Amino acid sequence: MRRIRRVSLVDVILWAIRIGVVVFVALGTYFTLSAGLLSGENWRDLLIFGIAQGSVYALIALGYTLVYGVLLMINFAHGDVFMFGAMTAFFTADALAAPDPSTGISPLNANPVFGMALVLATAMLSAMIVAVLLERLAYRPLRRAPRLVPLITAIGASLFISNSVRGLYGERVLAYPQLEILQGTLDLFGIPVLKTQAVVIVGAALTMVLLYWFVERTRTGRAMRAVSENKDTAALMGIDVDRTITITFAVGGMLAGAAGVLYAIVFPQVHWFMGFLPGIKAFTAAVLGGIGSIIGAMLGGVSLGILESVAPNLLLLGFGVPSPNQLRDVVAFSVLVLVLIFRPYGLLGRPEGK
Amino acid sequence: MAMLRRAIAAGLVVAIVMLYLAGVGLIGAFADRQVVTGYLSLGRLMLLAPLMIGGYGMARQAGSIVRRLTLGAAAGGIGGAVFALGILAVLALSPGVRDVFIRFNDDLLSFALFGLEPGPGAVLNVGLGMVLGLVGASLPVVPPVVRRGLLVGVAGVVLMSGLEPFVRPRLTDFDLHDVVLFLYEDQGLLPLAAVVVFAVSALLGVLWRPARAEVQRRFAEADPGAQRVARWVAALLLISFIVTLPQLTGVFLTQVLVLVGLYILLGLGLNIVVGYAGLLDLGYVAFYAVGAYFTALLTSPTSSLAIGLSFWAALPLVVIGSAMIGLFIGAPVLRLRGDYLAIVTLGFGEIARVLFLSDALAPWFGGVQGILSIPDIIGEGSYTIPLLGEIKGPAATYYPLVAFCGVAAFVAWRLKYSRTGRAWNAMREDEDVAQATGVNIVNYKLLAFAMGAAIGCLGGAIFATHLESVFPGTFNVLVSITVLAVVILGGMGSIPGVVFGSLALIGLPELLREFAEFKLLVYGGVVMLMMILRPEGFVPDVTRRRELHEAEEEPEEDDDTADPENPEPTATAAPSQA
Repeated sequence: MRRIRRVSLVDVILWAIRIGVVVFVALGTYFTLSAGLLSGENWRDLLIFGIAQGSVYALIALGYTLVYGVLLMINFAHGDVFMFGAMTAFFTADALAAPDPSTGISPLNANPVFGMALVLATAMLSAMIVAVLLERLAYRPLRRAPRLVPLITAIGASLFISNSVRGLYGERVLAYPQLEILQGTLDLFGIPVLKTQAVVIVGAALTMVLLYWFVERTRTGRAMRAVSENKDTAALMGIDVDRTITITFAVGGMLAGAAGVLYAIVFPQVHWFMGFLPGIKAFTAAVLGGIGSIIGAMLGGVSLGILESVAPNLLLLGFGVPSPNQLRDVVAFSVLVLVLIFRPYGLLGRPEGK
Repeated sequence: MAMLRRAIAAGLVVAIVMLYLAGVGLIGAFADRQVVTGYLSLGRLMLLAPLMIGGYGMARQAGSIVRRLTLGAAAGGIGGAVFALGILAVLALSPGVRDVFIRFNDDLLSFALFGLEPGPGAVLNVGLGMVLGLVGASLPVVPPVVRRGLLVGVAGVVLMSGLEPFVRPRLTDFDLHDVVLFLYEDQGLLPLAAVVVFAVSALLGVLWRPARAEVQRRFAEADPGAQRVARWVAALLLISFIVTLPQLTGVFLTQVLVLVGLYILLGLGLNIVVGYAGLLDLGYVAFYAVGAYFTALLTSPTSSLAIGLSFWAALPLVVIGSAMIGLFIGAPVLRLRGDYLAIVTLGFGEIARVLFLSDALAPWFGGVQGILSIPDIIGEGSYTIPLLGEIKGPAATYYPLVAFCGVAAFVAWRLKYSRTGRAWNAMREDEDVAQATGVNIVNYKLLAFAMGAAIGCLGGAIFATHLESVFPGTFNVLVSITVLAVVILGGMGSIPGVVFGSLALIGLPELLREFAEFKLLVYGGVVMLMMILRPEGFVPDVTRRRELHEAEEEPEEDDDTADPENPEPTATAAPSQA
């Protein structure tokens, strides 16, 4: 009898939170929209910005999801792998951005496609190397350890990587060189879109298509799926589990590196601590979509990006909260908390049958 | 042949570690910190240590003594050679490219080559590498007593030189000018003094173990009455030592002690949550922040509440309020699985920080400006304790803080061996089984959360009144991770471990000013290495140590693993994880 009463107390709290959230969202939306504080164009720009930012989150989230799929661990250091890719690529971009003394045009602007490909390759390669080393040195010895041990290790690794970069490259905030052809806006069916945002959305979409093809259509991809189903059975079927896990980390790292460059196109500044927030948010995106699911990570990333740019204005402006965009991180974390409490298997995931 | 390949691999790893240490800036930062003035700097010691460790690693393998020594020397030589090649390669780079790695400036490069021309510098690196590899390789070969003596001797010399800024003024206070002149020149020890310090600490290191064994034997043989007396005397000595510490150490060190105490308090709180109940809370800083802000609101006359209570009047409200918040936050999230719980609490920590920082809540919490003019812990700035005289400055916080730590440690200790502690223990080991045996999981989790929250906010309250101001920037996720590192270094679930962890991770870095920049790097490394090599910590909890002891049968004959200066031998002790 007592037991039932106690459990229901927690349920009451949960229901109170549910109702509170719904009422808050409904009221906030109503007040904001009825007051007409922002025009249709404002909302549209916020939405496009959200999609651009969300596609970067999605790329990082894929790394979390892939690793979680095969190892059932949260690779907390993934955000720092992303940061490492962006930081390393900066130096390539910076070298390419130096103007040629004879012509006065930098190689990056003279040949933007080739230049960006080189920058992207540096980022992906360096991030991949870090991710693979991380797995080899820090996570592999702990494969059989209790679940919290690798997570704590990952937290240590996150701090270690970011502070190594701080030591190696310095504490300075580095300004990414801007591409001349990406300045200005693009007219898309009558909607003006910033070129940088368009490039980021298209780039992320292409990368994700490529990944989907890799996972679904190649032998290695099939091995990855088999390992994430069941490691032991996969090993019995002749799959080299260690190698597959290494490949998973490598793929995740490359995606994070690519995300680093795309992120730097939208927010052209990089520094040693830039990995933390996008890392957590991408994890949120992965959970939102259903961790372990590739489509879910893509969906979750874009949804979180949109929520983060639209929700603070939509929900808080109506209540007269000053500078609501300061609270965008609160929105992201609240989404994380709410999703984990109410739907830990995410939008597309299945409840864990344990 | 295979062995030679291993020596080459070891040499490469050693060289990579050396280049990393140089590249990350540690070597450069400590290049001028003298250990033995004119002969050895701390930077040099750090740069050379990997060579010795590489040789040590090689010689731990099987084979004849000559073979092991040769391989050790080879690994060291290869390490030195590759390192020198790396430095020469950096020298050959154009200045623009070299600027990518900001630490490789001319000073560092010349330091790495001993200030010589590139050729002789490189040769010296190789030669020194071979010698140090040989020395390192001889460590596993010589008897354990010699090894312990050597290591403790070196540690003693480093410690004595590191403590110079604190030892010198103390010695001067007590009119011991001759001792100062004998020991120090600038920051470092004089060569003769270094030899003496080395000899003394080596002797202590060699005698420590037999002496301790002797004391333990006599203690075990004594009758119960005498044992009790001995315990009381030891406790009394310890307490009087702690009480007189601020008088002995001076203002600056007392400030450090306050910081250490604060982290002991936080660590004790987190230890209940993580160590006892097995709930990984990465948002511990939220409670710390809530405690600090609550205190600030209630006590500061300029806060939005403007009540201006005294610290002691505010304290119960703060503690109870925070425990309630802990309960309230805990209730919805405690059903989550372990790793999700960690991330959710991390989210709460960040939400708390962003809210305290935001303009939206600035009318209450002051936004970026924080809350100022919080009264100090006593209210008047100083008070008098019999025998000790007037207490002011950081010592005024030190005594109440020690009392709080004592209370928290007592509570934690009693809880651990209570019914509650055993329930937590069962829950940590296996939630399902614990529930099946009748442990009410939800209640015990909530209790752990609330206890942790109460102790954490107590820390926050003291922090606020000690600094007399609170700013949102102080309460970032790094605080949570630092506390976690403190708990992990000492050993999860171990109360002395928290004290050890706080002294090592908070206290030691404060002694070396150059170190501040690298603190987080070291915390990250420590957390990672501890989890891989020694997950039970350096001062493991007694029960667990006893379990291990039973399993090993053999008493700790050749056990250097308790020595934090030398984490190397733990590689073999790793399977001891329970």
